[in-house]
Amino acid sequence: MSAPFYEYGLLDGRAALWVALAVGLAFGAALERAGLGHAPTLAAQFRLADGTVLKVMLSAIVTAMLGAFWLGRLGLLDLARVYVPETYLLPQLLGGLVFGAGFAVAGLCPGTSCVAAATGRLDGVAAMAGMWAGVLGTGLCFGALRTFYESTARGTLTLPELLGVPYGVVVLAVVVVALAAFRAAEWAERRGGTMRRAREG
Amino acid sequence: MSATAAVVAREPAGGSSARDATRVRRTVRRAPAAYASPYAAGVALGLVLLAAYVVMGRGLGASGAFASTAAAAVAAVDPARAQGSALLARYLAEGTPAWLDWLVVELFGVTLGGFLSAALAGRLRLVVERGPRLSPPGRLLLAAAGGAGMGVGAVLARGCTSGQALTGGALLSVGSWLFMGAAFAAAFAAAPLLRRVWT
Amino acid sequence: MTGAAQDGANVEIGGGPPRPEPSAASLTPRAGRQAPAAPGPRSLRPWSLPLVALLLALAAALAGSPYAAHHATLDVADAVRAVAREEDHVTALELAAWIRDRRPGLRILDLRSPAEFDAYHVPGAERADIQAVPSLPFRAGETIVLYSEGGTHAAQAWLLLRALGYRRVYFLRGGLYEWLEQVIDPVLPAGDDAATRAERARIASLSRYFGGMPSVLPRAPREDALPIPGARASGTGGGATGSSAASLQRIRRRGC
Repeated sequence: MSAPFYEYGLLDGRAALWVALAVGLAFGAALERAGLGHAPTLAAQFRLADGTVLKVMLSAIVTAMLGAFWLGRLGLLDLARVYVPETYLLPQLLGGLVFGAGFAVAGLCPGTSCVAAATGRLDGVAAMAGMWAGVLGTGLCFGALRTFYESTARGTLTLPELLGVPYGVVVLAVVVVALAAFRAAEWAERRGGTMRRAREG
Repeated sequence: MSATAAVVAREPAGGSSARDATRVRRTVRRAPAAYASPYAAGVALGLVLLAAYVVMGRGLGASGAFASTAAAAVAAVDPARAQGSALLARYLAEGTPAWLDWLVVELFGVTLGGFLSAALAGRLRLVVERGPRLSPPGRLLLAAAGGAGMGVGAVLARGCTSGQALTGGALLSVGSWLFMGAAFAAAFAAAPLLRRVWT
Repeated sequence: MTGAAQDGANVEIGGGPPRPEPSAASLTPRAGRQAPAAPGPRSLRPWSLPLVALLLALAAALAGSPYAAHHATLDVADAVRAVAREEDHVTALELAAWIRDRRPGLRILDLRSPAEFDAYHVPGAERADIQAVPSLPFRAGETIVLYSEGGTHAAQAWLLLRALGYRRVYFLRGGLYEWLEQVIDPVLPAGDDAATRAERARIASLSRYFGGMPSVLPRAPREDALPIPGARASGTGGGATGSSAASLQRIRRRGC
């Protein structure tokens, strides 16, 4: 097995940057084609008038999760060498809450704001500017935040490890939850979603 | 039924043929294509993420690129200040210039990919997207304010919807799912207060 | 955007979002739940993707761990063949030549304790705990050479890495003792023919490269040799035991 290719030294730094560009192109195109470069759609998700955000995100997570599991299980990918973001309980909880509030206000997240800006939406540009300022400000005031930032570190921690169940069982649970969420999103759209119907051409 | 066909079907029989022809030509050229199914787009996105795992051993991201460029900007203006912040200094310590950072190149790709996709589908539009009750300046202000909140949150959480929710979520990281749950909970909670913004 | 323009012709340059179809179709219950937009006669059934996902997930729940280290399989016949053909190990002299010639991608792993490693290790070696061996980040094209005190742990680690799919893995069968005996304190072969002389010269030059002291006669163990942690007790003269302990002692006292 020699994947992840970069980890096995099969790719050098320059090739990695070309990969970054290609990955980004596909990512941006997929977001735009899903309509996620369009703030009213994202905002409608949180009013439960539209389910696109949940559908795209959970479909992506399920696809990548199943793909990673099976490539690992079949010995085609060394899953242990794929970088898993570390867990910091309190900062990620609080950061999530703040992020979510900002997301609802702006109607765009970092990735989609770039797509929106690229397609001419000035609110996307504004969101990107705000984000940049927010990150900058946090960086400059980091001294005050540092203790909190580094608190409750749990290192690399996965749900199977935390719950003490096999990896595949968590995979199944996530898929079941996602499918249920899709059902709920469809129901919500049918019930009160004028936005969704208006979007279809 | 495609948008193009719909226009042709509705073309009135009589009237100035030149004017009608112009209208048809403009519309046929400019009518935007419909969006793709969210499930199909989601699966495509998941495959891109999986490809990143297989090729690079890492996933996607967005907020990290904002941090690298912010660190580079501060360093250009006031290097001491940049080094004084442990957060910014970490981005500078890697040695590579911001425009050669993997995430920055990736985010540039996202921008380009979004542009190309919209251009090909006729969905490019210079506009401030907003609800009917909000003025454009008001919308821009709110977008910036929301963006600032996301900037703070993304720093604390070490990522955003791309880096944590998608990348970490697919790899079952506890912190990523925690972040995603908190973010969606806060967004759903805040939405009723923001009705005037969008409806 | 939230326009309700229903007049049919969209003259907006630059395009806008797809306008609503003023037909009955958009008001039926089906409108909310749409099939995937893949056009054409071969589009997927709406339930096919969820079904595939569910089946893959069910299989995953029963499939065990996705991590390579938890389900590696060993091709026993292949491993045995490697052992029989002596393709599983290298001699200390071969390793010495590899180091001196800067063989690309060479990685030498010392599986002993940190204290033993600090006392003396093969030049260029990295220390690794045997527990960490399955998760070490090896790269494609690397040649891995393992050694331990006497060779047992190294041989076991060889099998582990082989099960994980690495092919260019070798170990020192006699462990560090073999290194000390063949490289640091070699006894050169006696004989006057051209081949033996050449061999003597080769071993001697290799040995000196690593600070060794080749000799023609076997060396007797020193009586005042201090006990070396981990070394076998120096006893009857000659052979690996005595010279290894003495070698270690000599190296340690040499300083700088």
